[in-house]
Amino acid sequence: MWQSLPEFGTAVIYGVLILAAYTFAIALAAGRGQPRLLKSARLGAYATSGLVAFAILLLTYAFVTHDFRIRYVSRYSDRSMSTTYLITSLWGGQDGSLLWWCLLLSGYTTACVIWLKGRYRQLQPYIIATLMVIIGFFAVLMLFAANPFEASIAGARPDGDGLNPLLQNYWMIIHPPALYTGFVGCAVPFAFCVAALVTGRLDNEWIVAVRKWMLFAFLFLSIGNVLGMAWAYEELGWGGFWAWDPVENAACLPWFTASAYVHSTMIQERRNMLKVWNVFLICLTFLLTLFGTFLTRAGIITSVHSFAQSDIGKYFLWFIGIVLFASVGLLVWRLPQLRARSELESMASREAMFVVNNWALLGGMVFILGATMYPKLSELWNENTTVGPNFFNRWMAPIGLIIYALMGLAPLFGWRKTSSDALRKAFRFPLGAAALGAVLHVSLGSRLGYPAFVAKDPMFAGALGTLLQKIASAGPLIAVTLTAFNVAVIVQEFQRGVQARQRSATKQGEPEGLFSSLLNLVDKSRRRYGGYIVHLGICCMYLGFAGTSWNIDREATLLPNESAEIGRFTIRYEGTRMCPGNPRCSPEEAADLNKRMVFADLSILRGSETVARLSPAKFIFHKSPDGPTTEVAMLRSFREDLYTIVGTVDPQSKRATFKFHVNPFVSWIWIGLLVLIGGASVSLWPEHVLGTSRVWAFARAGGSLATGVMLSVWLAMTPQAAFASTATEKAALDMTVASPLPRLLSSGAWLPLLFGLGLGAAVAYLISRRTASRSLPPSQ
Amino acid sequence: MNAFLHRLSALAPWIALGAGLLALTLGAFFGIAFAVLLLAGVAFAGVLLLLWNSVNSLAGDTPLSLDEAIGYGAPSAEEEQKRAIFRALKDLEFERGVGKISDEDFREYSARYRAEAKRLIVKLDDNLAAAQKLAENLAAQRLREAGIVARAEDAADTALAETTAEQAIPPEAAVADAISADSSPNATNESTDRLSPTEGAALASVCPACNTNNDADALFCKRCGGSLSQARPAAADSTEDA
Repeated sequence: MWQSLPEFGTAVIYGVLILAAYTFAIALAAGRGQPRLLKSARLGAYATSGLVAFAILLLTYAFVTHDFRIRYVSRYSDRSMSTTYLITSLWGGQDGSLLWWCLLLSGYTTACVIWLKGRYRQLQPYIIATLMVIIGFFAVLMLFAANPFEASIAGARPDGDGLNPLLQNYWMIIHPPALYTGFVGCAVPFAFCVAALVTGRLDNEWIVAVRKWMLFAFLFLSIGNVLGMAWAYEELGWGGFWAWDPVENAACLPWFTASAYVHSTMIQERRNMLKVWNVFLICLTFLLTLFGTFLTRAGIITSVHSFAQSDIGKYFLWFIGIVLFASVGLLVWRLPQLRARSELESMASREAMFVVNNWALLGGMVFILGATMYPKLSELWNENTTVGPNFFNRWMAPIGLIIYALMGLAPLFGWRKTSSDALRKAFRFPLGAAALGAVLHVSLGSRLGYPAFVAKDPMFAGALGTLLQKIASAGPLIAVTLTAFNVAVIVQEFQRGVQARQRSATKQGEPEGLFSSLLNLVDKSRRRYGGYIVHLGICCMYLGFAGTSWNIDREATLLPNESAEIGRFTIRYEGTRMCPGNPRCSPEEAADLNKRMVFADLSILRGSETVARLSPAKFIFHKSPDGPTTEVAMLRSFREDLYTIVGTVDPQSKRATFKFHVNPFVSWIWIGLLVLIGGASVSLWPEHVLGTSRVWAFARAGGSLATGVMLSVWLAMTPQAAFASTATEKAALDMTVASPLPRLLSSGAWLPLLFGLGLGAAVAYLISRRTASRSLPPSQ
Repeated sequence: MNAFLHRLSALAPWIALGAGLLALTLGAFFGIAFAVLLLAGVAFAGVLLLLWNSVNSLAGDTPLSLDEAIGYGAPSAEEEQKRAIFRALKDLEFERGVGKISDEDFREYSARYRAEAKRLIVKLDDNLAAAQKLAENLAAQRLREAGIVARAEDAADTALAETTAEQAIPPEAAVADAISADSSPNATNESTDRLSPTEGAALASVCPACNTNNDADALFCKRCGGSLSQARPAAADSTEDA
């Protein structure tokens, strides 16, 4: 056994199961209050996580050494793949992605157990036990249904099948891990919830502990979903970023409940209300992550993610059933202790707004879940129904706008009750901004190409159909008005906070400047102001979503040197080239022996000026010659993306068919994500207790600055490589490699870079300032 | 051997970091496969070490550290509720600072929360009284055994006298002090520190040393820590005048 990697790897998975069971048993015993057993359980949890890491390293070794004795390696890699894609193959298929999931859960378990040291001693045993049950479930799944180390029946092959070409995209390197990080992260709040229910420690203790874990999961769910949009936008080549595919829907379901929870938890903390609701939301979020995985893996619904289907669905159904039964059982058992100690005192209060917001978010989730599952459920009564993107778009538009409106309304209210005078003051500026936004949009929108009303066809007859049609038609105006309202609310919240701080500082004889006050304000109430920054990110994203109303689509068949018009652009077709083999191919293209690439070179003109050259392409991978992939080329700006796709090319006449799209404001979705990451990071930033050492303060500040800058540079630069081949005017068709700096500046990617630099600098300033104030002797 | 392995497991994060750096360095020379294999070897050794320590701990062969022993005393439910009340008070003061809540509502809710906080602190004190007495007796006994206190009866008398004196402090005063201490780090709360003269007289006592307005029932200034016993009659007088 030890001489064969497949068998050794399988033995390691058995080891994971045994260790998880051992740790689970000791943790349960430790629940009776024996410190030695708890220590042993903690060490057992570390060992289990270490063994999962060992298993993933073994599989990585098998990939990089092309060990085709292992079936998974031979199915998802080949000898021509680069090391990066070989490592990506770890989660490129079913079996490996389960092991990857297990690794992430182990990482969370380790982080959680380290963090728990000395905290929540009564909860710890049950938290560890719950996490071990989940790891154990994945070990069982791998051993009996999807073993990544299973040997090929026919023995080792000379070469493997290679990774699905659709997955050979850099977004796929980071999108699945980010989404998995969000999904798996929901297991930790669930473990806390189970521990609190079992021990009966149901006060605010565990809610405070869970808050940041859930916020972290929410952050990564947001990142994973938006990166999924980026992947679909660039790789699937249909011109949009969200097609309401069942697997996309499944990925966003926990996002809704996690968002609801990060708001409702504040009500429990402040008012001791909604305890049952919070337990329900945590359990539901975890169940939805399992359901999402089930939907992805079971293949019961047709999806673009069909590359990951298999028959492990029944295992997931069983596990979902067990989790559901246990959650409901515990909830019913502890119901008397979960009764609220306070009541809603007024509808004009923040908690009332949060409750409405929670219901709206839950309503959105239930609608998406129902519509996603309806085609499958309708088979039960012999109907064959399909639910397409139009249906989702038409219904989700009003639901989304309600959630968007509530997002702006809630911060205007205070806790408990808000007087009518305070409400008048709070609403004055945002309503003024919304009215101004609406008037400007109606009067200037059409002239700029973004009309306030867009004609829509009724989806079905009757009053409801007409109402939905009218809402959809007025959607752009409502979205712009609400964006103005929401941004004004955020600005006002910061302004009022800064003013209050400055007044206070002046009274104390230590007046503060605007910037200093702003930083101190955010530092003192990170969760509140981090949340507002997240809201700002969502406003940016909404602008991007609203932009789809003004999309322009056009299809054209062109001969070389012919042109087509779309929006403000004239597109001239220059000709085609096939790489490798054409002298105009870049060195990288000429050296790529993995595929043949057919580029259609286009010149993009605005008026008479050539602004860019784009080269959409078809890639024909040698491993899958029957399925050429569409490679999109784009010209991006803050205002709009020009999105070009080549359909077919006649080899003789060079006549080519194209699809062109002008997609307004799409870039704001990616910018919104960066802002959201920044806001969530502010909220997540720990209450550091640096003690007396300044060294650590500066090390942390430097580290955060470097991380912020690196992340921003990376995010800013990588989208440029998304084009099959894009060159600026200066770098014309001779494929001269453009310097990254001009490319960075011309593309507008300097904004996220600046944002990262600003964030890093602000964090560094805050920490050094705080440390400096702590190092001063106490005032006499 | 056990002690060595125990110490080694304490260094596990540093060993993992070192192995990662070593793998990166050697990987550059010998290829990624070598680096992955090296990391796998270190991970496996780490698993064995952790498992050995876990089993040893289970068998009672490893000592329980002081941190672990102390950490076992989890906060009580009352303690958690008290913290929640303090957070709510901070939030209330912030809301008032940014004008989201009227002064009247602020006073009403603040009084309600303060009353609840006082009740919880009294309860916490009551719960701890027996343990506190036991701890003091044990400390006195240890001091006697160590010969630090020459006359055992005197030491016991001193401990008893101190305990009685502490318990004699009115709970409301201790509560006010605790609340002041908790809310003072929040700079935004300081908007309520300097109230208008009329308002201040009604709500607070002014510190003679730093001129900060404190809560009416505070014994010590929340800013400088000075005694407020002299300030109180003055504040009371001015309230009457108003």
